[in-house]
Amino acid sequence: MQAFIDGLIRGWGYDPATWAWTQMVYLAFMGAFAFAVINFAAITAGIFSWAERRVAARMQSRVGPNRAGPFGFLQWVADAVKLLTKEDLVPDEADKFLFRIAPYFMMVGFCCVFVTLPFSHVLIIADMNVGIFYILAVTALIVVGIIMSGWSSNSKWSLFGAIRSAAQIISYEIPAGMALMIPVLLAGTLSTQGIIRAQGGMPWHWFVFDNPAAFGAFVIYFISALAEGNRTPFDLPEAESELVSGYNTEYSGMRFSYFFLVEWGNMWVMSALATTMFLGGWNIPHVSAAEFDAAVGAKAVVWELLSLAIFTTKSLVLVFVVMWLRWTLPRIRVDQMMNMCWKYLVPASFAGALFVAGWMLIVHALPMLGTLMHLVMFLGAGVLPVTFFIMRTLKNIRDTGDKFDFTSNW
Amino acid sequence: MAESISAARPIQSPLQAYVKNVRDTATSFWEGMSVTLSYMFRKPITTQYPDRAPVMVRDTIPSRYRGFLEVDMDICTACQNCERACPIQVINIDILKGDGKTVPKLRMERFDIDIGKCMYCGLCVEPCPTGAIQHTREFEGAVMAFNNLTLRFVPDVLAPVVAFKAPKGAESFSRKPLGEITRKLIAAWDAPPPPFPSKEDAAKAASHGKPKAEGGLDPASLGRTLAAKALAVKTVVPKLSKVFEEAMAGTDCGDCGYADCKGYSDALAAGTDFSPDKCAPGGADSKAMLETILVSLKTGAVPGPAAAPAAAPAGDAPAGAPATTAPAGPPLAQTLSKDELYKVVLDAMAGTDCGDCEYPDCDGYTKGIVYEGQTDLNRCAPGGEDTKVKLFQIMLGTKPPSA
Repeated sequence: MQAFIDGLIRGWGYDPATWAWTQMVYLAFMGAFAFAVINFAAITAGIFSWAERRVAARMQSRVGPNRAGPFGFLQWVADAVKLLTKEDLVPDEADKFLFRIAPYFMMVGFCCVFVTLPFSHVLIIADMNVGIFYILAVTALIVVGIIMSGWSSNSKWSLFGAIRSAAQIISYEIPAGMALMIPVLLAGTLSTQGIIRAQGGMPWHWFVFDNPAAFGAFVIYFISALAEGNRTPFDLPEAESELVSGYNTEYSGMRFSYFFLVEWGNMWVMSALATTMFLGGWNIPHVSAAEFDAAVGAKAVVWELLSLAIFTTKSLVLVFVVMWLRWTLPRIRVDQMMNMCWKYLVPASFAGALFVAGWMLIVHALPMLGTLMHLVMFLGAGVLPVTFFIMRTLKNIRDTGDKFDFTSNW
Repeated sequence: MAESISAARPIQSPLQAYVKNVRDTATSFWEGMSVTLSYMFRKPITTQYPDRAPVMVRDTIPSRYRGFLEVDMDICTACQNCERACPIQVINIDILKGDGKTVPKLRMERFDIDIGKCMYCGLCVEPCPTGAIQHTREFEGAVMAFNNLTLRFVPDVLAPVVAFKAPKGAESFSRKPLGEITRKLIAAWDAPPPPFPSKEDAAKAASHGKPKAEGGLDPASLGRTLAAKALAVKTVVPKLSKVFEEAMAGTDCGDCGYADCKGYSDALAAGTDFSPDKCAPGGADSKAMLETILVSLKTGAVPGPAAAPAAAPAGDAPAGAPATTAPAGPPLAQTLSKDELYKVVLDAMAGTDCGDCEYPDCDGYTKGIVYEGQTDLNRCAPGGEDTKVKLFQIMLGTKPPSA
């Protein structure tokens, strides 16, 4: 983004290195980007809350909210207005200062991720060379916010939820981090844009189909991200049936909505990160990154928008999978959650990293083998399962004597 | 199924168990996700209420459903059986009485049912002699204003509805199609609440509707007229019965225990029944008139006009005021008759019917003090010190011990 602003300043006829107002322009753009990021996060979180309710309803043979606006789309606006106008209640026995600032810690940890999260070929606030490392670091701030809110509420439900959350997030950081190491190994960089550039437009160029370990890493990352985002089946920190609402039990109004905003927004963050690391990011089929950089004029604009659309579509599909999982799986127990992490995911992620290191040596010697593996993985882990899955789903519909009907009764 | 479990158990090494766990996880995800996705692409089972249902929801519920109440005023006899049957006083009926000649004998200036309070027990429907009050299948009670929940079957207080006089021996009464009247009333529920009445309107409404203001009925004088008539036909039982019947409300409600008004009046005329207080719809008026007739039949003379209102002026302010301000002389308890005393004592209480005195209401406590020798005068909690001082003044002529 700095290059973009420098270009703008040059366009105005000044040299950014010597112009006295350069720093002020940087500051103004920083403010504008921060505003845009917070609004993007808030609005996507709101829209996801509506989408999840509709998806949940359909999966449970219900209709879902459909009264406010077309298809009930404005439901999230109504909910937001309701939350904003509610009383901001601080419990009498709470640690009032910590109680008040805890939601902001969550928000800060959540919004910081957007700094290195790409949206398209140029749309990224800062393409840091330690991008992935930075994301893993700032997401840990969310744990601080959760523990702070649980502790300061002075309520046993909140504290249970916070402690569970701390255990869960810290445990799952390890498999998540190790799984993300595999694309980093394959790309040879920690920069998010660099990792996307190392992949390609067609599915068999994606890292997820690079080799079996990379596919496993994708699955491991996805499971760990679910756990870190407190999503079902890992929603132990806010298990309604056990803990009322977990660490945010005592919150109301605006502060409560911050927690929810972070939770829904996290769905985008984890999906966008998975898209970046494994699913080829914004790459357009048959357009190499070098060609993209060289494009000028109308072609550049069209490609830019196309890359934005591709990235968004991939992320939204993953967001849908997250919702879909929530309405499929029951919540697991705390011991099962820990077993899963330490006995299955952690060993598997380490084994995968070792495998990929060895595999890269082999491919370096025999490049043909790499291309072959790409195709085999794409067919074996991509096309075949999806086909079988669709057939299975249609059979499920047929077996109940029902028919495919997605369009009626919205 | 049982075989595969028992066969799998003995030969499972830890590694096999580990692999089996992973495989089970994958397959159960596979199946579960497929099932939920298949539901997503089917038509929802639920019906979108209320506007996408193929027929009106009220038309799909059973005909014996107890929804909002409905009263067909065309066949309502004003017997007020429903009002008495209601366990929670949801129904309010105001009756306007006339002499039956120049003005109709019974009219209703109010027939309100508070749907917000109604618990749909159906006890009001059962005693209705003509089937005027019925449950409809209407049930959607969302309103813009709480006041709107009261169904007013007499729309205008100033245009009272004349009570229906059921033909003798009739067993069925034709009524409007069930639900039509209530639907019309609840159509207005979305309207904003009626404005709060101005002072003039309130005064007008208050002065109206009083039987005296209507000039229709003076129970005392009508009672004497009837008593004179009764004396004239003393020996002819059917004619005497007619006179008695005139003193009654004439709704044939059956609350007196007889089939209709004629049954009760026949019994009074024949001398098999002596109680004048069985006519519930007629209330105090009918009771007074019947009493007058019965007394004059016994004594052979119509009581003079002075005797009838004897109880009236003895009551409230004139008697109560000196009692509290001038403590001289013997206490009122010794100077007044029990009935007069009753009014004075009742007046001294707070009148909230709170039940704190362990009597059901103020009336009960008053009766206890006046007729049953209750000596504890310290029980009226809402009235507080004021009531205590007054009660001691009235009953004992002294100040209360603690005051």
